[in-house]
Amino acid sequence: MQIRFFVNGKEVELSVSPKRRLLDILREDLDLVGTKEGCGKGECGACTVVMNGLAVNSCLVPAFQLDQCHIFTIEGLRERPWFPLLERAYVDHGAVQCGFCTTGFVMSTAALLANAAPPLSLEQIKWQLAGNICRCTGYAKILAAVMDLSQQQSVVNEIKLDWQSAIGGR
Amino acid sequence: MDLNPKDLRVDAAEKVRGETHYIADEKIPDLWYAGTVRSAHARAKILAIKFDPAFDWQSVAVVTAKDVPNNYVAMIETDMPFLADGVVNYIGEPIVIIAAPNKELLQQAIQHVRIEYEPLPAVFDLLASETSGVHIYGEKNVFKEILIEKGDLEAAKAAAAATVEIETRTGFQEHLYLEPQGLIAIPKQNGVEVRGSMQCPYYIKGALDKMFDGKMAVTVVQSATGGAFGGKEDYPSLIAGHVALLAAKCGHPVAMIFDREEDVRYTTKRHPSYIKSQAYVTRDGRLLGLDLTLYLDGGAYSTLSPVVLSRAALTATGCYFVPHVRIHAKAVATNTVPSGAFRGFGGPQAVFGIEMLMEKMALTLKLSPRQVRQINLIEPGQTTATGQVLKYSVSARETFEDVLAQSDYERKREQYIAWNQPILTRLRQGRFPKQDQNDVLKGIGISAFLHGAGFTGTGENKIQGKIRIELNAAGQPIIYSAQTEMGQGEQTVFKKILAEALGIERDRVLLSEVNTDIVPNSGPTVASRSTMVIGSLLIDAAQEMIAQLSCRLRDEYGDDFEYRQGYFWTGEKILPFESVARRYHDIVIEKQYCHPAFIKFDDTKWKGDAYPCFSWAAAVAEIEVDPVTLEIKVTRYYTSHEIGKAINYDQAVAQIQGGSLQGIGWALYEKVELKDGQFDVSGFTDYIVPTVMEAPEFHVRILENPYPFGPFGAKGLGELPFVGAAPAVVSALWMIFGREFNRLPVLPELLHALGIGLRAR
Repeated sequence: MQIRFFVNGKEVELSVSPKRRLLDILREDLDLVGTKEGCGKGECGACTVVMNGLAVNSCLVPAFQLDQCHIFTIEGLRERPWFPLLERAYVDHGAVQCGFCTTGFVMSTAALLANAAPPLSLEQIKWQLAGNICRCTGYAKILAAVMDLSQQQSVVNEIKLDWQSAIGGR
Repeated sequence: MDLNPKDLRVDAAEKVRGETHYIADEKIPDLWYAGTVRSAHARAKILAIKFDPAFDWQSVAVVTAKDVPNNYVAMIETDMPFLADGVVNYIGEPIVIIAAPNKELLQQAIQHVRIEYEPLPAVFDLLASETSGVHIYGEKNVFKEILIEKGDLEAAKAAAAATVEIETRTGFQEHLYLEPQGLIAIPKQNGVEVRGSMQCPYYIKGALDKMFDGKMAVTVVQSATGGAFGGKEDYPSLIAGHVALLAAKCGHPVAMIFDREEDVRYTTKRHPSYIKSQAYVTRDGRLLGLDLTLYLDGGAYSTLSPVVLSRAALTATGCYFVPHVRIHAKAVATNTVPSGAFRGFGGPQAVFGIEMLMEKMALTLKLSPRQVRQINLIEPGQTTATGQVLKYSVSARETFEDVLAQSDYERKREQYIAWNQPILTRLRQGRFPKQDQNDVLKGIGISAFLHGAGFTGTGENKIQGKIRIELNAAGQPIIYSAQTEMGQGEQTVFKKILAEALGIERDRVLLSEVNTDIVPNSGPTVASRSTMVIGSLLIDAAQEMIAQLSCRLRDEYGDDFEYRQGYFWTGEKILPFESVARRYHDIVIEKQYCHPAFIKFDDTKWKGDAYPCFSWAAAVAEIEVDPVTLEIKVTRYYTSHEIGKAINYDQAVAQIQGGSLQGIGWALYEKVELKDGQFDVSGFTDYIVPTVMEAPEFHVRILENPYPFGPFGAKGLGELPFVGAAPAVVSALWMIFGREFNRLPVLPELLHALGIGLRAR
């Protein structure tokens, strides 16, 4: 089938099988390999991307759902003006080890900050990140990074604004 | 050296930005895809391999056992074939491998292979293996047997006031690194290059050199590796053989990237264990003697089981001094997927055994779990089971006392016992135990643990790890070693050690790609050895670098230069390191590791210094058990680790948090059982690992007690945090229920099976 959608703000037109996974479209057809495959069954969160402003597992999104959608991957997110602040929080808090789950966590983090009403409690953050599995860190430093970000009102506002104007696509 | 600065990881920003390329991210032109036809039987004769003539076999490459020059994966032994030849020994054993230009054709080809079998009796129970009559390995299915004896057990028995016994069992554990196994082989002129996710490039090179009988030039290159935990120590050698054979056959690059189900079902697991301990003790809980029998389930082939068994046996007395000891240990064969390396490497099973013995001693002798441990903690000057005298960097007592203090263990224990009383009473009377939603059972448990740093016994002296330091034209030092980054922070630590030793900025130090054509064999990245062993070579290399540069300066200027914090200085001249290094950048330093001569081990008699030193730790776990659902949750986890010196303090804490949570997973969630000889798990849905919801609040303290031969005093860290987490958690269950718990994992259904909890009426 023919689909037309937006990836990182750019319009994409593809002729694909309706069942083809968004994950494969991103990694194989569009060469956006920052999104990782950890399980292929929506269980680990390594392939998390932002779809119409919400964090989703790209391995569970078939092509036929994509028409007119707005997809953001790590390749798009890292170009946003506020991204260096998110990057710094992860790096400064030592929240990265093997890195294979990291981009998925980063996507979930951004969507969480964009969509949740502040102030965020630790329990709320945990709940929002529970779909992303990390086998290295024990989560403590990831939580510290996200907690720190959530308390920086100017960063959160900047992300929310960007979500409304560009990333959410509405 | 700076006092515990926050050293940001050198690889973090790139990983956050999604710019790090793992093997599945590589774009290689003309790439073919490989798949495996696996055994459907746990043990069988292969009668025939039939290739359906309806399929066009010219369109793909096929390899079977007869195409493999030397059909064994060279590890410690040579019993495991790359491809089954005539007989299969576990469900999932590779029989035929196929490469095809695309994944669809590959699946079609796999479906057109039919294997005919004659099923044979199989054995799955590690205790039944020796007498089963099923011959998997040698006469009695014993991969390795170890006997360690010290003192006179009969005398201990005679002097004892009581005998305390316990049997403990632990199950399989899956590594569940987030990045599945994956390798790509690229054909080269008269050779092959293998790249991908791995811990030990030279293990792979060794295995392929043997497989090809030295007739192919083999290069192995590590890609960014998304977690390993031991799972990428031995296993990648097998699939490296597969992709290399297929690439050599078809002439195209060949990728074998596992999906999660294939990875979970058919790759190595932690060795299941059985330990029977018989302790001879005084009335106040002092250990006089310990008679211990230990079994590990090695699965169908020996892989690393002999050395996993060594570490288990050598760790069996835990952090305690025992005057009279007999440890009888065996690794046996069963018809399951071969067990392999996993963080802790036999240590966790052994420590679970001894720590549960401590709990049993406390229960039997009516002492507190703290007391029975305190009275037995090993001290400097005392000996281990092999007669190793602990001379330096011994902190069993310091870590134990520290964790007691930081967790407020004694007070909380009293408080929780009182709190639980009414809930337990209602439960025992068959009444609904919760009067309030806060009515949960609260427990606090403790463990003491250790990890021998570096290879066991004579291992380091056999490997003789080598490194090389070169200088580039800009005067920057480049480290050449085979140590791999897999998330543990090796790159950051190596750069820091060399930079500190040279007195230069960390970012000026470069690391070579890990490519066997370029880097010397510094040994595998295993056994918590990289920082301690290779780190010490970096210090030696830095000192020699300074000495050689000083020599050149003297030759040129005729003056004796002194080296001060990154500067060569004499009289009125002061020159920065980099300008001098630039001038003499032809200098190359090579260093090779050997233990200090006084460290001696006899690995036939099991006597002497099993490890150059040990890292020490203790942990306290606070848990809550819902009295209705019997769900167990760790709420707070305290641990005090003594690792000589933390080179990167922040990431040492991170290792401790992550390793502890894996240990908590092994204790409470991660269950793999055999169903008709096959693992009953396929991925994250049926194999449960902790998510952020299960992670406790961590309280980590790192104590220092330098090891004289480690870099800045550092010892090994990577595995230690895992080792003592499960016993601390289970110790809390003993506290709550006042009864024995002797197996892992402990799931709510186990508590129900033990008769704890409400009965259906």
